[in-house]
Amino acid sequence: MTDIGFAKVSSPVLERLLFNLNALAELGEVIASPGDFRRVVKSCLYMVMGTFASSKGAIFRYDYEKNEIRVIVSKGLGNLSRFKVPFKQDAMKDIVGCNGPMDIRSPSLPRSVRAELVKIGARVVAPLTVKDEFLGLITINDKLTDEDFSAYDLRLFSVMAQHIAVSLHSHSLLNKLMHKYNENKVLYENLSSIYYDTVGAFATAIDAKDAYTKGHSHRVSAYCTALAKEMGLSADEVEGMRIAGLLHDIGKVAIDKTIINKPSPLTAVETEELFSHPVVGYEILSKIKFPWTGIQKMIRNHHEKVDGSGYPDRLIRKKIPFGARMMAIVDAFDAMTTDRPYRPRLSFEEVMREFRENLNSQFDPAILKPFLSAIRKEVSGEVERPSIVPFLNERLDIDSVDRLLEGFPA
Amino acid sequence: MAKRAQNFKKLGDRVVLYADNYINDIEGEKLEEVCDGLLKNGIKRIVMDFSNTEMINTVGVSILIGIMEKVREKEGILLFSGLKKVNHEICNIVGLAKHVPIFRTEKEALEGFPA
Repeated sequence: MTDIGFAKVSSPVLERLLFNLNALAELGEVIASPGDFRRVVKSCLYMVMGTFASSKGAIFRYDYEKNEIRVIVSKGLGNLSRFKVPFKQDAMKDIVGCNGPMDIRSPSLPRSVRAELVKIGARVVAPLTVKDEFLGLITINDKLTDEDFSAYDLRLFSVMAQHIAVSLHSHSLLNKLMHKYNENKVLYENLSSIYYDTVGAFATAIDAKDAYTKGHSHRVSAYCTALAKEMGLSADEVEGMRIAGLLHDIGKVAIDKTIINKPSPLTAVETEELFSHPVVGYEILSKIKFPWTGIQKMIRNHHEKVDGSGYPDRLIRKKIPFGARMMAIVDAFDAMTTDRPYRPRLSFEEVMREFRENLNSQFDPAILKPFLSAIRKEVSGEVERPSIVPFLNERLDIDSVDRLLEGFPA
Repeated sequence: MAKRAQNFKKLGDRVVLYADNYINDIEGEKLEEVCDGLLKNGIKRIVMDFSNTEMINTVGVSILIGIMEKVREKEGILLFSGLKKVNHEICNIVGLAKHVPIFRTEKEALEGFPA
């Protein structure tokens, strides 16, 4: 049998050694655990106190803003929540320079700190440092056995303190990271809020040019959102459609107000100017980098018709961007369900007839179907927050809606 | 008849506190709280039984020292019973055995209180 030397070591010493090794292993395990920080630190303190059979102990954290140490956890010392000791920068350098645990009577310990720690019965104290960064202190009182702390004990105490310091350091880094994250989150939320407010203000400004289409952009935006959700688009795509809806008529800011509000038929020149608004809108928005793709093209092509008779690019069917085909439907729906300078609003029944008659020529049936389905769901009360039906100046019941939808291809 | 509520059993002016395996976790602090409550209610003769404790670790030692200090403060008597060999050795290593009398069984401990 190989002699590994254990026989030379007396049994109590070997048992003590194994007990200490077990303590170190358990300390490492606790530090690596993802539990609550205070609970982890508390377990660490209990392990150190248990290793040296001390009845009192505490772990302190150094507060760099207030230059003081405060208790994180303690045991056997009563309520130390108000315990804090001023700790000047020079004193901190001295204690970090000690590079290990020390007796409470050590001259390296700043006098004010020693005085306070003596009050709580501390016997040995170790700085908690990582790469010369002072993080705090750990202190325990006398051993239950009344034996002195040997050089071996102090070395073990130092190793345990180093483990705990790493844990505090990781927590400190995590806190800094969380602080930055929260700062950035607030900044992002503020910027988002400004962004959405600006887009909303633009939409209001666009609609203000036209006495008849007040709220048109906000309604189109709401309809786009409902349709996008019904079609199962992602949350990000739904948001893109909402913004596109708000801005779809932005090109109208460049159109003469008298043309937009003219009650009689437009001349060829006036029509040409009015028809230029999708291109003008596209050019305005081309300078803007949106977080959603395709917004500019949706705006440019929202007056295209699937048979190619629309404007400005006379695109046919799938050549028309998907979002633009969605917007063409909801834009026409709002135009038909609101009063215009040249005609009063159409009833829901009349709108359905228009849709039916222009299916495959003006409107894409693959998109009209989910839009009508979204309306039906709102009428039947399946939608928690309806966003289409509340804008209609007409009370709809599910039986009449079902009857009107019967004529559409399945 | 003896009454065992959760982790302790009351027998007149004596109480047996069962350490089970809670003692090896920070949750074992609750045992200290139970002990606190007993002392506040005037119980001063406490047996801690370890028959179901596989191994006392450093957290357990710390909790036991805390309980011992609390009993001392109230001038009570704390006895240990049912310690497995390995746990008895740990009590010797950390010095607990010098401060707390250790009995083989709960019954012996209950009989071990001075009259």
